[in-house]
Amino acid sequence: MTTVPQVYSIKSTPKETLEKWFRLLTIGRAIDNKAPNYLKQAIGWSYHAPYAGHDGIQLAIGQIFEKEKDHLFPYYRDMLTAFSAGLTAEELILNGISKATDPASGGRHMSNHFAKPEWNIHNVSSLTGNHTLHAVGAARAIKYYGEKAVSISSQGESSLSEGYVYEAINGASKEKLPVIFAIQDNGYGISVPKKDQTATRKVANNFNSFKNLRVIHCNGKDVFDSMNAMTEAKRHALEAEEPVMVQANCVRMRSHSNSDRHELYRSEAERNYVLDYDPLAKYRRMLIRYERFTEEELAAIEADAKAIVKTAHKAALKAPDPDPESIFDFVLPEAYESEKYPDGLHEEDGEKKKLITGLNETLKAEFRHNPDTFIWGQDMANKDKGGIFNVSKGLQQEFGIKRVFNAPIAEDFIMGTANGMSRFSDKIRIVVEGAEFADYFWPAMEQYVDSSHDYWRSNGKFTPNVTIRLASGGYIGGGLYHSQTIEGALTSIPGVRIVYPSFADDAAGLLRTSMRSRGMTMFMEPKALYNDPKAAAVIPDDFEVPFGKARTRREGNDLFIITYGNATHLALDAAEKLAKEGLECEVLDLRSLVPMDKDAILAGVKKIGKVMVVHEDKVHSGFGAEIASIIMEEAFEDLDGPVHRVGSPFTPVGFHRALEKAILPTVDKIYDAAKKILAY
Amino acid sequence: MSTAIIYSFNSNKTAKAGEKIVEAIGKDLKLDVINAEEITEEQFLSSDQLILGVPTWFDGELPNYWDEFVPALEDLDLKGKTIAIYGLADQVGYPENFADGVGIMAKLVRDRGAKLVGFTEVDNYTFESSHAIEDGKFMGLVLDQENQARLSKKRIDNWVKDLKAVFK
Repeated sequence: MTTVPQVYSIKSTPKETLEKWFRLLTIGRAIDNKAPNYLKQAIGWSYHAPYAGHDGIQLAIGQIFEKEKDHLFPYYRDMLTAFSAGLTAEELILNGISKATDPASGGRHMSNHFAKPEWNIHNVSSLTGNHTLHAVGAARAIKYYGEKAVSISSQGESSLSEGYVYEAINGASKEKLPVIFAIQDNGYGISVPKKDQTATRKVANNFNSFKNLRVIHCNGKDVFDSMNAMTEAKRHALEAEEPVMVQANCVRMRSHSNSDRHELYRSEAERNYVLDYDPLAKYRRMLIRYERFTEEELAAIEADAKAIVKTAHKAALKAPDPDPESIFDFVLPEAYESEKYPDGLHEEDGEKKKLITGLNETLKAEFRHNPDTFIWGQDMANKDKGGIFNVSKGLQQEFGIKRVFNAPIAEDFIMGTANGMSRFSDKIRIVVEGAEFADYFWPAMEQYVDSSHDYWRSNGKFTPNVTIRLASGGYIGGGLYHSQTIEGALTSIPGVRIVYPSFADDAAGLLRTSMRSRGMTMFMEPKALYNDPKAAAVIPDDFEVPFGKARTRREGNDLFIITYGNATHLALDAAEKLAKEGLECEVLDLRSLVPMDKDAILAGVKKIGKVMVVHEDKVHSGFGAEIASIIMEEAFEDLDGPVHRVGSPFTPVGFHRALEKAILPTVDKIYDAAKKILAY
Repeated sequence: MSTAIIYSFNSNKTAKAGEKIVEAIGKDLKLDVINAEEITEEQFLSSDQLILGVPTWFDGELPNYWDEFVPALEDLDLKGKTIAIYGLADQVGYPENFADGVGIMAKLVRDRGAKLVGFTEVDNYTFESSHAIEDGKFMGLVLDQENQARLSKKRIDNWVKDLKAVFK
């Protein structure tokens, strides 16, 4: 029973509508029942989360979705949702058995994750509820661009235990976004019952006190109750421009998935109890009871359904498998190409600008250049404040609060809604200040990692166009959470470019390239250099630095130092000290870590033979290990001694200046290491 | 006056409670016993006095057999009918929606003209909320076989005693 308008009922709904629903329900259930057979026959579908028992709400979610207009984020149990939204039976099976022509991912993502990005049925993570933030981000774009559309996040009730789902709902409430959270409650998160998730059985009621959020409960097992609830939810989201949460009470008629055995934790009585409420059987009984269809008519539809599934099955089996040669496709999309500065170098004369000025002026220039550019983050904009270090100062005043705005203190929300807003249109470019300081970024890591998969996982159909700016590194006496740098942990994750400039001109040029490129870029800013005269440089107004192009900052023949970020300046100072002793170092500033300028590294090794890698992050598993290994593998014969690494020890960064000095690289440490290598 | 009791013959606890009610009524009233799983509009209208067995399923829902009858029920004129409702519910497992089924059915039939009888006290139950409560009383007899099975017989006997006073 619900308190929403009764638009649909067994007596008044047109017969053709009832028939359409019965076909969808019958074909969908036939595939849901057939899915385990593919695994038994070793064809595929090794992950299948049966939807049986969720039939009413899944039918309804799909029916209210308007393709290419609304945005739908189905979860891993949403087979009928996807089918009701327009996917064909064949497309469902192509996904189940991971064929190259699967519209969701071409066999790259786990089975039972149905999607069709070209219709805005989005490819989502297996991480439960992760897409809630994406749905909120898409709704932000819907609102900004004035579309009459909704974003729908579909998920199980256990996902509401996740902190980032709270962040998403809080954000939708705060921003009054047209998003529907469709919560399919079957009482279990795999084997974990609701009582072990939260104190409130009707979990949506946990959110009753949120402003601007309407909560609707419905019977997800009942077609009419679900249709009425979702119809009202969409009407309300469109007309009131507010988020709506629909909690649909479902049953899980089977195990969680084919790797689960629910008889281990559910009694026979309970299993029979939920089977008794088979939504499809109920709908069929009602069609007969209220004389909307005869037994013969339904039997004919069921026979048709059987034939449709058989045809789809045969066609899907013939479809090609993914090509192993394709694994390198769609790791990263094409970057913006600079015609004027193909190597990211310039000969400009004039007044030097600080690194912070270079970033600020480039941000403003790009916001003027592209009206579909947005920026948000913590401390982003409040009167004269513009970013924690004022990098974005003046942006909100010039470009307005709709393009430049504060985010809640919720790093995952900042990242996740950037991903989601990107899904609205490929023309959008987003910059986020991912955290107040780099080592506050960890709460956003689940969104960072998930976003890193998107381009590959969707088989090239979606890439988040997001630049993540992080004030990084030490030398400011900040200790833990304020003086660490985190690139060593990030460079092992494919799918994101990582840049780490050390001079103002390179910072400006890399930022411009990041903001004009498709895909994700992690833009690490050495905050100690924001206002340091050493990092100041002349910056051409239109400067661009391509990704993967290193820059030689000092030439020499005795020692080759590969470095980036804060360490570039330490290395240059050490080189200056050594030069006074007649020892000439060449200092290569990588600028980009991913992609890395391997050619420049190997050329320097070949030229000089003695090599040192210097970075601020820990030596242990730091990025220097990757550089050193490449040199070993590809330029061993060119070496004139072992590659030496200078960086931080395997400890956190201490707060007291004496501790920080003992831990972070210094000019003296680099000088001492250089002398050893030079003496080898 | 004709009287019928309607409950699901496929059910377990609700059917057993129905049998106990029939037993308690004894020969004082002629009672038709009807299967709710197959209830028709004609059967529902054929008696002047009805006892309905309405357990609460899941988080506050009618069982499917009653839910499927609701569209028919919504079009019935129940003026002149006297209806009493009993329902099984679980106050420990489902304290937020304790015996909601009783309240949902009670309001449905009353809105269509029926007179409700057999309200009971809420004392000696522990729960958080219930759609079955009106003016501080349950809108029928609530039985909790999961947690208070030993109280059921007395509750049924007392309820039937009250019903006998109003049913003719």
